[in-house]
Amino acid sequence: MRTWSRLFGRSFLYLMLVGMTVLMSFPLLWMLSSSLKTLEETNAPGIIWVPAHPTMAAYADLFQNLNFIRSYFNTVFYTALALTGTLASLAFVAYAFSRINWPGRNLVFLLMLSTMMIPPQALIVPQYVFFHRLGWIGTFNPLIIPGFFAGGAAMVFLLRQSMAQIPKELDEAAFVDGASHLQIWWQVVMPLMKTPLATVATFLFVGFWNNLLTPLMYLQTVDLYTLPVYVSTLYNINLTVQPWPTIMAAAVLTTVPLMVIFLFTQQYILESVAVTGLKG
Amino acid sequence: MPQNPYLNVLSTAGLTVLFIISTSYGLGALARIIARWRGASLKRQQDTFAGYLFAAPWITGFLIFVVAPLASSLYWSFTDFRIAANTPPQWVGLNNYLQLILKDTSFRSSIVNTLFLTVIGLPLQIAAALFLAVLLNQKARGERIFRMAFYLPVILGFNAAVLLCWRLMLNTGTGIINQIIRAVTRAVPPLDILNRAFIFVQELISAFFLGVGSGKYNLFYRMLEAGFPPPNRVPLWIQSPLWTKTSVILLMIWGCGTMMMIFLAGLNNIPRELHESAEVDGANGWQRFWKITFPLLSPYLFYNLVVGMISTLQIFESIYVLYRDNQPLVPSAISMVYYLWQVSFRHFEIGLGSAISWLILVLILIVTLIQFNLQNRWVTYELY
Repeated sequence: MRTWSRLFGRSFLYLMLVGMTVLMSFPLLWMLSSSLKTLEETNAPGIIWVPAHPTMAAYADLFQNLNFIRSYFNTVFYTALALTGTLASLAFVAYAFSRINWPGRNLVFLLMLSTMMIPPQALIVPQYVFFHRLGWIGTFNPLIIPGFFAGGAAMVFLLRQSMAQIPKELDEAAFVDGASHLQIWWQVVMPLMKTPLATVATFLFVGFWNNLLTPLMYLQTVDLYTLPVYVSTLYNINLTVQPWPTIMAAAVLTTVPLMVIFLFTQQYILESVAVTGLKG
Repeated sequence: MPQNPYLNVLSTAGLTVLFIISTSYGLGALARIIARWRGASLKRQQDTFAGYLFAAPWITGFLIFVVAPLASSLYWSFTDFRIAANTPPQWVGLNNYLQLILKDTSFRSSIVNTLFLTVIGLPLQIAAALFLAVLLNQKARGERIFRMAFYLPVILGFNAAVLLCWRLMLNTGTGIINQIIRAVTRAVPPLDILNRAFIFVQELISAFFLGVGSGKYNLFYRMLEAGFPPPNRVPLWIQSPLWTKTSVILLMIWGCGTMMMIFLAGLNNIPRELHESAEVDGANGWQRFWKITFPLLSPYLFYNLVVGMISTLQIFESIYVLYRDNQPLVPSAISMVYYLWQVSFRHFEIGLGSAISWLILVLILIVTLIQFNLQNRWVTYELY
């Protein structure tokens, strides 16, 4: 009797898990399926789960759309540059908070943690005026340069926690050999930080790649648009029929890098989300 | 400056790195001079120099990108400042704040909409996260794959391109969600009753909130009189002002992965022995949930509540993608951040925008403080 109810319970559990998986990934599957349809099929009154004759026409269109290719390149370029600068400065600053004992450290660290309370949106208006005065509107600068100043207290915190776990004896041995802090940071500490750095890099990548608000504010011409901004212009309310297959194909191409990176780093990401509650 | 946008930003990045290196060195040297002047040991002087050298990028960034903007926007919030007009800010005292709080109907609806998302959406989002976490915690085989699938929307879901897919799915006539609802309710009549009950309750609540926003409850009374919706009604997701916020809630629930992971960590931390010994003592599943799981999970619930409230107050992307340009729908959907964006970057009224940013900032601080003060009443950190 007990084994039967246990068996029933287990099958019910798997049913729920699989059902939830289908529900949660449905938008992504639907995106893929719609990108393979014709325009008529996306607007058809009946349900078409999978198109009878999948067509790559929408993708072919996009590969000839110079604006799309340009926005793809822009996104890769801006993400790469912003990611490099931000990651390097975060790792640099985390060293100060974990491996050097300096007067004022606790105060500065507390100050940094308290900035997590400030919503980024409260800063966008004055920052816009600031960048306007610098003549940076219509350039990539406002999206990239702030990151170089170790932007993101939560990320510094995450790196600091892992860095503090590296044994201090390593530094002391290097000190005796005459190494400076800069050398210790780069040659002793950084090689041991690969996993946390990869985790933070993924969070940063996702954040930059998906960013909509700031590119929308600062990139004012179509040849500078990043993918989220450009793809949302493909949906035009003035059209009576939206080019859904093209929009969905663009969405698929936009999400592919995110999917690939998540697949490779998901283990570290999910662990650190559970520990720190960071948002992707 | 070169005209090519890519070379332009590369050269600015190079200059920025030089700037950071020189300020870091400067700050470190300054700190060392102070340490020497105060008679610190040589080792202490070196540590002081290195500490400020390494922390300097954050310190300078904090001054340039946080302190200075906050201070100037506080000043601008008391002025009439239009960046396009090329005139200096004009001091207007409390006018911006008074206008926002007393007169501005759009701002009031943005607050009411945000309230709707917080009061109705957030509990649903937390419940979904808890449900998924409990499912995952049953130690099923392939847990890792399910966990990935449930978390994936957090990674992808904030992208405007993916949000557009929701716009396709939520289409009232041909959208897949309504197609499925039509097919299912036609096949199973009891589900049709359920669907209509959901529509009825949802529209009543929305009409009530729209009434709170505009001060007129006509629509709410009309909905009450009209009574139960006719058969074969479907939700009007992104078509009717009564449904705009519910569509956003759908997206919130879809992206509950972060909260789910927090709950999962909490569930993992509950010692198995507690459940086992309670079972031996004859406690049933329900009792065990309320006496053991819930109290031990309450710190995690509290954390999700605080973080969830803060991020609900900051919702922007989904509303932008679903309702941008759709003027008749905007008042029923806009969030506070969307309104901030509209005022500051569509109308370029920096003074008013600054006042909104400060109101959002203060609101978030108040919400957090209230939460922290209330937590002693129900959050249990230890059972014994």
